[in-house]
Amino acid sequence: MKKEVLAWVLAAVPLVGIVELGLHVKQTTSDIVPDEDWLAARDAVKSKLQPDDLVLFAPFWADPIGRRWFGDELAGIKREARPDETRFRFAFEVGIRGAHRPELEGWKKVEERSAGKITIGVYENPSFAKLRTDLVDLVGPDRVTVSRVDGAAEVPCPWQRGRGEPGGLGVPQGPAIPGDKFVCGGGGTVGVAVLHALDHHPHLCIFATPMGAGSAALRMRFKDVTFGSSLHGHSGVQWVNERTPSAERITVAFSAFDRPLGQNIHRVGAGWTGFEFPTPELANKKGDLVADVSGAGPHAYCFEADTRDVTP
Amino acid sequence: MSEDSERKTDPPRPDREDDAQKQDESASNEKAKASAGAKADASAKAGAKEKAGAKEKADAKENAGPDFGTRVRTWVRANPDPFIGGGIAAVYVMWLLATARSLGFSRDEGFYFGASSDYARWFSMLLDSPGKAIERGSIDAIWANNHEHPSLMKSLFAISHMLFHDKWKLFEDDSTAFRFPGMLMMGLALWMTYMFATRAYSRRAGVIAAISLGLMPRVFYHAHLACFDVPIMAMWITCIYVYWRADKEGGLGWALLAGVVYGLTLETKHNAWMLPAVFIPHALVVHGHSMSRWGSRSSRIPIPTSLVAMATVGPAVFVLLWPWLWNDTLPRIQEYVNFHVHHEYYNIEFLGQTYFGPPSPRSYMPVMIAATVPTITLVLFAIGAFDRARVLVSRATLWAGEALGRRFSWPKEAPARDRQQTDLLVFLAIAVALGPFLLPRTPIFGGTKHWITAYPFLAILAGRGFDLVWTRIEVLLARLLVVRSTTDAATLDDTKRLVAQAAVVLLSFGGALAATIHSHPFGLSAYVPFAGGTAGGADLGLNRQFWGFTTESLAPWLAENSKPGETFYFMDTAWASWVRMQEEKRLPPLRGVGSPADAELSIVHHEQHMNEVDYNIWTEYRSSTPAYVLTHDGVPIITVYRRTRARR
Repeated sequence: MKKEVLAWVLAAVPLVGIVELGLHVKQTTSDIVPDEDWLAARDAVKSKLQPDDLVLFAPFWADPIGRRWFGDELAGIKREARPDETRFRFAFEVGIRGAHRPELEGWKKVEERSAGKITIGVYENPSFAKLRTDLVDLVGPDRVTVSRVDGAAEVPCPWQRGRGEPGGLGVPQGPAIPGDKFVCGGGGTVGVAVLHALDHHPHLCIFATPMGAGSAALRMRFKDVTFGSSLHGHSGVQWVNERTPSAERITVAFSAFDRPLGQNIHRVGAGWTGFEFPTPELANKKGDLVADVSGAGPHAYCFEADTRDVTP
Repeated sequence: MSEDSERKTDPPRPDREDDAQKQDESASNEKAKASAGAKADASAKAGAKEKAGAKEKADAKENAGPDFGTRVRTWVRANPDPFIGGGIAAVYVMWLLATARSLGFSRDEGFYFGASSDYARWFSMLLDSPGKAIERGSIDAIWANNHEHPSLMKSLFAISHMLFHDKWKLFEDDSTAFRFPGMLMMGLALWMTYMFATRAYSRRAGVIAAISLGLMPRVFYHAHLACFDVPIMAMWITCIYVYWRADKEGGLGWALLAGVVYGLTLETKHNAWMLPAVFIPHALVVHGHSMSRWGSRSSRIPIPTSLVAMATVGPAVFVLLWPWLWNDTLPRIQEYVNFHVHHEYYNIEFLGQTYFGPPSPRSYMPVMIAATVPTITLVLFAIGAFDRARVLVSRATLWAGEALGRRFSWPKEAPARDRQQTDLLVFLAIAVALGPFLLPRTPIFGGTKHWITAYPFLAILAGRGFDLVWTRIEVLLARLLVVRSTTDAATLDDTKRLVAQAAVVLLSFGGALAATIHSHPFGLSAYVPFAGGTAGGADLGLNRQFWGFTTESLAPWLAENSKPGETFYFMDTAWASWVRMQEEKRLPPLRGVGSPADAELSIVHHEQHMNEVDYNIWTEYRSSTPAYVLTHDGVPIITVYRRTRARR
């Protein structure tokens, strides 16, 4: 009996090949999402999207396709290279293959619809925080001044418009150095670029680096910042530096109205990490915010911060 | 499975002997006919002199036997296997040639094209002024290029280019001429795989083994390239096959051949240095008894001649064929060894994580094999491997019983004797090729190509597995269709057996064939259907490509969406590969540049660690919107960005 069963099992082995062929045909034809579905999904999202809503694509590997069809208006750098999801009231998750983004864990699904093979889920953020000022948006000669502080000496760093340095043919490339930036004599630049962080995701942030050896700091003064109940931000180092943890620490210290608000110490190896300093006493006030970055050394350090109203 | 069934399903020798007998009979008939015809001719002649002359002629013809053509035909009929294997190899090489033009150039090919072109200059110099060619200055000026790899394949690339492109103009593309020796090496691998499996198990196993090896999408990709991975796969099995034959046939000729082939294997790629780990344990098992007996009697250990030849002739061939080693031989060998022992770790994604140094994940090799080798092949391999492992263990158990003077309850019957321990050799060939990838310090950046040497043997055991499967199917079919008998003695007639076998092979390997055809030219992005295909690989976080060869697949889009002379940042494609693609007009006439800062069009080849390139282009172009995304089965392979006027 056992022998008979074994004989049938062995005789059934070619079925593996038949199933393999069937799966292959399915995966290479009906499983592929046609362009029309992406266009239909784009139109569906566009009709409902608000400025403080997020669009994201699932799985993450489908992101380039989504960006191609949705364009900068719906899936531009600000949404794609977000520091986190807290600033978005709703998220439109455009998903294929039944995928779901982990960032939306804990969000409440309020709507779901289909566009061909694409599923559009609308999720409500359980802890939405309204932004007052995003420091990244201010970087430029009009609202920001930068200086290099070395002991008692503080030397202004002029704003320059020039050619970007987005890397060459070698990999890893290091972060792009934007064409428009503050350039400090003695070392150090400040400009906005997209960081490839340790999580391999993009994060738009303010590069304040590299400083070289010594104890110099970069001081950034952001003018006319509207404060909220909290100062919220993130910091990170270019992924290649970050993936080899070290004892190095990089500090960004914030102050306003001549008093410290808080400081974040980034440990190299920690990845893209967040910080939050409560500022209830400053809520609704307007004034200058100063950020001092020190200890970056040779690292491509990047941070972002915003003022916001956090619901207790 | 009993030994009886094993013998029933394992008919190679009888098969070949039957064939040989048939051919012998046919030859005798032809001989008889020839003799009769000659006699009739002679009797028709008039006159005694003429009669005598004719008789002399007829006698001479009779004594000389069949003519050369007949003898060749007779020999071929009696020895069809080299031709069957050769036929499979030839068809496959033609398939590779037919698809070569649509496959872009990998990074490494760019470097080897350059090195081979240099070596070609040296070969020309050797023909024109040999004295100058062997001067140290001439050698070092040319052979120092790419000296981290031995010379054999690059020399063959060079000679192929000199002959098939420059002289005989057989290939229009320079690249096809460079690539041709690699393709022939794939042919050699298929041929050897067929021959090994046929001789070890059966002709059917041989055919299935060759099919299994040829229908692996990753192997199909690598078989196109002017690189060393498929060549070392071919030489690995060739070397083991020759060693095996040398052990069986004996004699100095086979032993010397083993030495020369081992030298050529050393000259192909450094994997060859691992082959002693196959041969020495095998030789100890096969010859250990006689070694110890002779050793105790004469204080001399009789090492098999083939091993002696491999240890002496092999290294000599290695040095002789590599001019770079002709000066400062030992320091340069040391440099070569050091390069590979201390090779840097490149980035490679596995299950969503990019690895860039030790420890390498132990699951990498088994998971990648499961995800890239067609599942039918793996199932057949598992059946074949189980069968042969069972035989191997039963032999070992009997041996242990004899040594200990005990009788174990298993096996009940002694397995067929195999003086050469072929199964052990096959398992060693797989284990030595795969074993290092279970060690934490072994780099994994090469994906599957670094253990590709195991695949011919994996395919051989798949062939053996198919033998067992087919035997069961034949019995069941015979019961159902022919005799309607309930006994295992029922059989199909020859025609029905042939048709049924072809149908079963087609059903079994239809998926593998379709997947292999479909994988081109995205062979490194392809994952097997049971792993979810290309999209499944992306879902699992498995590497999608490396070497930047997919750039050529942008040609249709670029032809419609770019202007001649526009600047193009080609990212992971090596500069030399880019230049070759341009020279062969595989892409529109764009101007390659080394940075997105200089480019109107920039691309990113999607690999996890190259996300930085993507994000840097966003920074430079101030946009995250691609102009185009090249996909394979809906999965992004390359994203193209165009700098807009607003983003200047």
